[in-house]
Amino acid sequence: MVSHSILAPPGTRVALMGNEAIARGLIEADARVVVGYPGTPSSEVIMTLQSISRQLGMYVEWAINERVAFEIALGASIAGVRAMATMKAPGLNVASDPLLSSAYCGVNRGLVVLVADDPGPHTTQTEQDSRWYAKLAKLPMISPSNPQEAKDFTKVAFDISEELELPVILRTTTRVNHTVSDVVLGERVEVAQKPTLVKDEVRFVRAGMSWNLERRKWLNSRLKLAEEIASKYKINTSTGTGDFCIVTEGVAYEYVIEALEELDLLDKARVVKLGLLYPIPKKFLLENLADCKAVLVVEELDPYIEELVKMTLYEGNLNTRIYGKSTEHIPLEGELNKHIVKSTLVNLIEEKAFTESGVIESSHSVLGEIPPRPPPLCPGCPHRFSFLALKTAISKKGYKLSEIPVFGDIGCYALAVYPPLSMLWTEHSMGASISMAIGAKIAGYGKPVVAVIGDSTFHHAGIQPLIEAVNKNVDVLIMILDNDVVAMTGHQSTPAWSVSESGRVLRPVSVESIVKAVNPDIVVTIDPYNLDEMISIISELVDKPGVKVVIAKHPCALLERRKRGATRKYRVDPSTCKGCKACINVTGCPAIVVEDSVARIVLEDCNGCGLCSRYCPYEAIKPVEEAVVE
Amino acid sequence: MKRVVNILIASVGGQGGVTLSRVIALASTLVGYSVKTAETLGMSQRYGSVMSYVRIGVNTDVHSPLFGPGGADYLLGLELSETLRRLHYTASSGIVIVADEYRPSYTQSVRYSSVKTSDLVNKLLSLRPGVFIVPARKLAEQAGSVRALNMIILGAFNAISGLLSPNSVERAITELLPEKAATISIRAYELGYKYAQQAR
Repeated sequence: MVSHSILAPPGTRVALMGNEAIARGLIEADARVVVGYPGTPSSEVIMTLQSISRQLGMYVEWAINERVAFEIALGASIAGVRAMATMKAPGLNVASDPLLSSAYCGVNRGLVVLVADDPGPHTTQTEQDSRWYAKLAKLPMISPSNPQEAKDFTKVAFDISEELELPVILRTTTRVNHTVSDVVLGERVEVAQKPTLVKDEVRFVRAGMSWNLERRKWLNSRLKLAEEIASKYKINTSTGTGDFCIVTEGVAYEYVIEALEELDLLDKARVVKLGLLYPIPKKFLLENLADCKAVLVVEELDPYIEELVKMTLYEGNLNTRIYGKSTEHIPLEGELNKHIVKSTLVNLIEEKAFTESGVIESSHSVLGEIPPRPPPLCPGCPHRFSFLALKTAISKKGYKLSEIPVFGDIGCYALAVYPPLSMLWTEHSMGASISMAIGAKIAGYGKPVVAVIGDSTFHHAGIQPLIEAVNKNVDVLIMILDNDVVAMTGHQSTPAWSVSESGRVLRPVSVESIVKAVNPDIVVTIDPYNLDEMISIISELVDKPGVKVVIAKHPCALLERRKRGATRKYRVDPSTCKGCKACINVTGCPAIVVEDSVARIVLEDCNGCGLCSRYCPYEAIKPVEEAVVE
Repeated sequence: MKRVVNILIASVGGQGGVTLSRVIALASTLVGYSVKTAETLGMSQRYGSVMSYVRIGVNTDVHSPLFGPGGADYLLGLELSETLRRLHYTASSGIVIVADEYRPSYTQSVRYSSVKTSDLVNKLLSLRPGVFIVPARKLAEQAGSVRALNMIILGAFNAISGLLSPNSVERAITELLPEKAATISIRAYELGYKYAQQAR
């Protein structure tokens, strides 16, 4: 799709999403190894490169989790090639252990970690501010404001990494990763690739405590050079004049500029934009803030810059008034936008009330109330069958749904939390379903407990919890919903695939083979589309002692349709339909709509699973006989 | 003249709202405008409520990828209830172009009283007398696929706005979509364009 834009010659102006721009940046920087684990909003960097990676001589693959990805990238860098690991914010938590140690050994060729934060949050379990990781790990961090900078800073990150001999964190946010913008492409450099490994215990072996102390001194000495090295690349900028100063970074910079433009204040304020977020460029800040009467810090998530600016000004003996999150001029939660920044500026500079013109009534006053539209499981989703089987089996065994906790995990199946399934009790972090279920049993919870985890999440972080459950003889029913793909983040490969997206031949490692190797009391593999059989299996296993693993194996319906088209469709006979809503009340399938008291199936959305027809008491839902045009 | 054109696309995940924003962005770049879009990709794409921002800078740069309520010069709706949900994003001088397509959400179907397509159309017309309602499903079927409904709206939008050269739209579609879908999409774009020219 975008591959010809990505490969266009230098100077070409193309429309790229931030993540595609980073992909182009990797090509321009001559990176050779790009690994990551899928996670919104970071996934498209790898997805963009995969189909062209082999012609470019790049290794671009998904790894089993972020820590493995980071360690692969570190190993590649040590061996002498430029490498990147990509992940969303919680992924950096997973990779944090090797990340912290990597500051002690440093790199040979450039190593860049892309971490995508999600102010909002839009698609992430926490509003994590990964900038603290730079401070914690003592690693340089740079942050772009838009897709053009996303590309340019990717290249810069490799250069800084090599000059400082340290991994560099490239930190982005959703509105940079997923913004499409016009981007001017740059030159591709050629970096001599010389895969060599040099034995150096002091650098690479953390067992020697005196070596660790020595390396910490080395690390601190490298960090002292960071500001000067970064300044060569002009990633920190200062524009405008006046003694009212705004310090900002990332996409917040764009909001600041536009708000100032609209208020006609561009010439009355100085905008100090930080590209280097760690170590904080103290010299640059002091130079540009020394004669400011007041400083406003505009940033998303935590008051990270704000604290560092305060510290820097204090060290410079400046007692400048600083506004930001601590003074409640900028909100602590949610993403920023131009309006928030504008009203803050109006309050601070203009001291007059701010109202945006042209605003008509909000949606609530327009329609009374427009019902929400939370994302449901897709039509034909095998998870719907699995949760219905679980729900039915629990009731069939005489338990109340309110007494059998279902510990969920991260993936599409978490959508079963919404009605009508309403089957999820927890969704915490990757792999936590099994471990938390173990905890509940150890605490003495008397009724059966269930853990539900997807195949990719199982590979990522569920294997060790399974070993723990087996090893400690815990009574737990574990359902592994195996749809053979990382579905929620856009259908990426899992370790069970035989060929990767880049065309690389893989040796498949199946969920079943891993589970059997761990040796739980019972392992059953079943296609959840065989609903009756699945209900009877779960009924039988739910309160049996021991570790019982049910692998519900059926491919993702959405992916199947894209690959092969829907082979069957169902429709509702409007003359037979009594409008009882049983079909939608049970399944919650988004292809079914009820309008004017009659159910209707949106034909192009139907994936032909037929689950709705099973629950229609009037037999009004039948397969469509004729071939359906997609 | 320097101006920034703000477009909001309201759709249900799966209808092609994100593809529509992408096509407009690429076509804008090909024309020589600067552009920024914003949307949430991922889970919400699956039959959830989707909102895409497109901002086109004519002879000027675009900074923020977002704009707020009252900011949209154009609201492009691929579905009626989602268009109503986002109606307050339209500027008082803004233009609303919407498909006559209704997809009640699960919550609407189950928990709320039934709302007919005509109720939504009337509501929209009462709030925005100038709203342009396009028989997009019918036209998309004529083009070869109901999935090309987004391109019908693109055609209507360009007929009304005149922002993008026909050549840039065609090139953007060809570059972004697989061959068969691109052929149908271009046909749908043209049908939407003609419909808007004749109906308005």
